[in-house]
Amino acid sequence: MLGKLMKYEFRATGQSMLPLLAFVLVAALGVNIMERITQHSDSNAVGFLAGLLMFVFIMAIVVLSVMAVFIMAQRFYRNFLTDEGYLMFTLPASVHSLLWSKIFVSSIWFAAVGAADVLAVLIASFQVSNVSRFISSLTDMFKSLTAQYALNGAAFIAESIVVIFLACAVTCLMFYAAMAVGFSFPRHKWFMSVLFFFIFTIALQICGFGGMFTWVNVGGGPAMSALTMMHTTMGVAMGIEALLGAVFYVLTALMLKKSLNLE
Amino acid sequence: MPIFECRNLTKSYGSAPALSNVNLAVESGRIVGLLGPNGSGKTTMIKLANGLLTPTAGEVLIDGMAPGIETKKIVSYLPERTYIPLWMNAEQLMDFFGDFYADFRRERAEEMIAHLGIDPKQRVKEMSKGTREKVQLILVMSRAAKLYMLDEPIGGVDPATRDYIISTIIGNYDQQASVIISTHLIADVESVLDDVIFINRGEIILQSTVDEVREKNGKSVDALFREVFKC
Amino acid sequence: MEWQLNTNAPIYSQLIYNLKLAIVAGQYSPGDRMPSVRDMAMEAGVNPNTMQRALQELERDGLVFSQRTSGRFVTEEKSMIEDAKRSLAEEQIRSFLGSMSRLGYGKKEIIALLESGTEEAMTTNANI
Repeated sequence: MLGKLMKYEFRATGQSMLPLLAFVLVAALGVNIMERITQHSDSNAVGFLAGLLMFVFIMAIVVLSVMAVFIMAQRFYRNFLTDEGYLMFTLPASVHSLLWSKIFVSSIWFAAVGAADVLAVLIASFQVSNVSRFISSLTDMFKSLTAQYALNGAAFIAESIVVIFLACAVTCLMFYAAMAVGFSFPRHKWFMSVLFFFIFTIALQICGFGGMFTWVNVGGGPAMSALTMMHTTMGVAMGIEALLGAVFYVLTALMLKKSLNLE
Repeated sequence: MPIFECRNLTKSYGSAPALSNVNLAVESGRIVGLLGPNGSGKTTMIKLANGLLTPTAGEVLIDGMAPGIETKKIVSYLPERTYIPLWMNAEQLMDFFGDFYADFRRERAEEMIAHLGIDPKQRVKEMSKGTREKVQLILVMSRAAKLYMLDEPIGGVDPATRDYIISTIIGNYDQQASVIISTHLIADVESVLDDVIFINRGEIILQSTVDEVREKNGKSVDALFREVFKC
Repeated sequence: MEWQLNTNAPIYSQLIYNLKLAIVAGQYSPGDRMPSVRDMAMEAGVNPNTMQRALQELERDGLVFSQRTSGRFVTEEKSMIEDAKRSLAEEQIRSFLGSMSRLGYGKKEIIALLESGTEEAMTTNANI
């Protein structure tokens, strides 16, 4: 069931996501080509065009991230909370598989966006002096950090990726929960959804900061080395995200099961 | 065991009851008309049967089971709305139904779609309202379900389409199965019904076979309905 | 086959009447194979189960018989068909006489009307 549901999720969302991803990569290619042209030309027009393209490229990356979240939220709304809900909720599949199919597919798309961003930067800077100089200076800074603080750079990056990924999934779940709760009300559904979204965002921030604050002041201390401290902090961050995610999940599933209000 | 049963079924929204203490049973092999004016509770009952709503009190049973994954496997539901995704085409819809419903008869559906001259590659978005309704009906009736629940299948369509819908229902219905047709347009479906249930303001007013109604009253169900629900 | 179904009388008895009429009037000759239950149900616009029951009653009356794999057939026994024809005719006469007497006609007047009316009716029907 879950596999089949995910198949259709990808088909439905791919139509919007793939062109966006392609656009970012093409823009990256464009930036790379423009940089090469700029290096062999003194023309002001060329320089201006290169700058414009760089701007478009950066905007594309930003828009891609924003659109990804928007597309996933819209998909949830349209497929579960409008007339399509009649189709989905009468399938012989549990609310859990229905919900997880959306969570998995959203998360995979977010990962794809992240990968596309990295790939795009690499393409844009490929063998092009200005941009690759910028990239290599980043890499140097990173190496010095590793050397100076004896931090395991790779592990840190891996953990950061997991935390960022979890944060994206939890943000998505927060949208889901806000909509599921908002639409369970008989009237003013959109208003309630937005209201709950703000409530959840505030709750998320409080829990996030509160949790980290507590951890840093209570959990840590001189007994722990900087390295362990770093890893454990990452672990705590993951734990907080996972917990919040679980809360939003339970809320969403409950609303969909008990208070589904298709018109 | 009745294929569909309501026991003291009640559903309220706030203080207003959409269904009050409904008791009824439908056996296999029957085509039943759930007849009542708009807002009488027909759609609420059907949604409860499909697990889209939860009862405030009492229970609804499909083949002795509460609505859930097992009942969804044997119930084929046609809602009043256009519920198929607009971005899909007829072929993808058939793939979808075939993927999720083991009782979906693909060849039947393909035959009916072709018979209507619908291009399988045409998207729902591009279909007229009438075509969409026919496609939905074909998909629902192509399943070899034990219980079909059709919510207002003939509302708002021309007489030729109405005839097509009724003959699609008869032609695809497995004789062991039951069909519950909810409508307020009785005259057009009366001849195909075995039993009728009159419902008003969430309460069952009458439950009888069509023949009994005609014999006892010497008039059609439609005529009786007009009498009973006179404004 | 033409189905005459009105909405004021029970469906079941009307189906039986229509089927008997079709056989008696020769639409289905003795020994003819009848269409499937589903086809006839679709023609008449009724539940196939109801059509099935009507056909089963006809079987009980001996007007049709079924062979497991081949379907349903009209009986070859002409006497059964004749009997059915006669009982349908008697029903018509009973209901006719009932209506006439409600209009206030007596036996002699009815016979006189019949003699003059029959000529006309027969010629008109022949021309249709």
